[in-house]
Amino acid sequence: MTEVLLLGRRATREIVRYPEATIPTLFIPLFFLVVNIGQVSKTFPSTTPFLNGQGYVAFQLPVSLMFAVATATSGLALVTEIDLGYFDKLLVAPIRRSSIIFGRLTADLVRGIAASSLVLLVGIALGARIETGVPGAIVIVLLAAGFGVAYAGFGLLVALKTRNVQATQSSFLLFFPLLFLTPNFVPFDRLSPLMETLARINPVSYVIVGMRGLVIDGWNLGQIAAAVLVIVGLGAILTGLSLRVIAAYDR
Amino acid sequence: MPRPPAGEAAIAARSLRRTFKGGIEAVRDIDLAVAAGEVFGFLGPNGAGKTTTVRMLCTLLPPSAGSATVAGLDVVEHGAEVRRRIGVALQEIGLDPVQTGRELLELQCGLYGITGEAARDRTEELLELVGLTDAADRRTKTYSGGMKRRLDLATALVHSPEVLFLDEPTTGLDPASRLTIWDEVRRINAGGATVFLTTQYLEEADQLCDRLAIIDDGKIVAEGTPEQLKAEMGHDVVSVSVEGADVSATKAALTGLPGLERVVAEAGGLALYVEDGAGSIAEIVRLLERDQIRAGAISVARPSLDDVFLNATGRRLEGQDRAQQSADTPEVST
Repeated sequence: MTEVLLLGRRATREIVRYPEATIPTLFIPLFFLVVNIGQVSKTFPSTTPFLNGQGYVAFQLPVSLMFAVATATSGLALVTEIDLGYFDKLLVAPIRRSSIIFGRLTADLVRGIAASSLVLLVGIALGARIETGVPGAIVIVLLAAGFGVAYAGFGLLVALKTRNVQATQSSFLLFFPLLFLTPNFVPFDRLSPLMETLARINPVSYVIVGMRGLVIDGWNLGQIAAAVLVIVGLGAILTGLSLRVIAAYDR
Repeated sequence: MPRPPAGEAAIAARSLRRTFKGGIEAVRDIDLAVAAGEVFGFLGPNGAGKTTTVRMLCTLLPPSAGSATVAGLDVVEHGAEVRRRIGVALQEIGLDPVQTGRELLELQCGLYGITGEAARDRTEELLELVGLTDAADRRTKTYSGGMKRRLDLATALVHSPEVLFLDEPTTGLDPASRLTIWDEVRRINAGGATVFLTTQYLEEADQLCDRLAIIDDGKIVAEGTPEQLKAEMGHDVVSVSVEGADVSATKAALTGLPGLERVVAEAGGLALYVEDGAGSIAEIVRLLERDQIRAGAISVARPSLDDVFLNATGRRLEGQDRAQQSADTPEVST
């Protein structure tokens, strides 16, 4: 555990010292938030049934939160470390290899909490109201950060498998279809039948729906449980695969 | 500092082999025995198999065949325990550029179970040892190559390892930094650590190593103390600079030289292996004049490790300057 905390602290320090790696990942979700609201706020006024009296910003906020936390930053940091040779230094230290992965994920948790808090505050500043209040806001931040941690496993996996900076960088693009094959602009029942089917089988949808419920509708334990299940499942699969790859790294 | 029991090899390898994808045999069935407390050199050109051997001994790479023990422990069966007992500074300097020197050393201490005040004290001690106290709070990306290498060496020492692996520790360094690293290696070894050092620099092997092995194309082609290896050559080396003359004609002219054991053509000249180098110079000059060959400088040297390498592999080590190695030997111009 000490190793994880030591490596996590190092990785977190890296985030603070390299703001240029984090700022672009925040610019995109905030940009989408503002642009999407600007484009469709007249189409979906606050009288729209699924907005429950709120502006469209409340509906879009969870999507921006997902964008803010789903990054390849950890994967990029890891592949850079492989490239520079520091990764070998860690491998030859008497630590569990898994702590290298968990150290990175610890930093992802910190980054996820910071990034989602910022986006949430911007959303509130743009007019969103969190129906579930401060406790709900905390749960939203934790869900978003949790998804960020789960998704980071993908970047780590690509970094370890390819050992290539470009491949790891572009792995982030794979998230786009997952984010758009969801009820990101309108609820499930407003999507075309094909899109609805795809959205319903896309697990990312349920994380968005879970967070959106907390913003717009109030406490819905079923939705929250579904979001948690997806996050835990995705995290278990991606982190599990990363752990397998690092355990077999050059072995 | 702990050591393996007297008489036990700090490093031993038996028929160690590593084959990479595509059937590339990087290391071919090598045997090694490094005694506790030795500085053992592993000399060879780029691509000879030095780094692959080090990576296997450090548990970073599994052998394809054969076995190896470090500090008495099998590197495959007891990898975790081996890692606790070794320090490693790999050829590629393993530093995190975002951290300061002090942060990296304290982190490294933590990874070896040294925490709190003990970690801070050990960090101070090591910073002083490698002369980086003043730069301790600067990020390592601002360090010069020599400073990075010294910090990398310090990170390998946090836990006072029994066996220290240094993979080309001075490659790319300026002469002053190289001497500093040599001093550190001597000091570490004087403290009791066994040092396994790979290098492609003959002078480094000659200066630092108690014993050495020459590796070429994945195989060990010679092994012994530097003095033994040179003594086994049993002759002097006369270098004849050919300059504008025809190499084949020069070689032909000198084949009748008394006491000549071997002639090797090399870049810009010939290396003549003779029983009595100094006594042969007059005859060499005479033979060249007889055939009206206008050669350049002639120098005589005792056999160097490069000659040992040449003898074992049929070629010289890359990037070595023979003239530098025999700078203090007599030279005659024709």
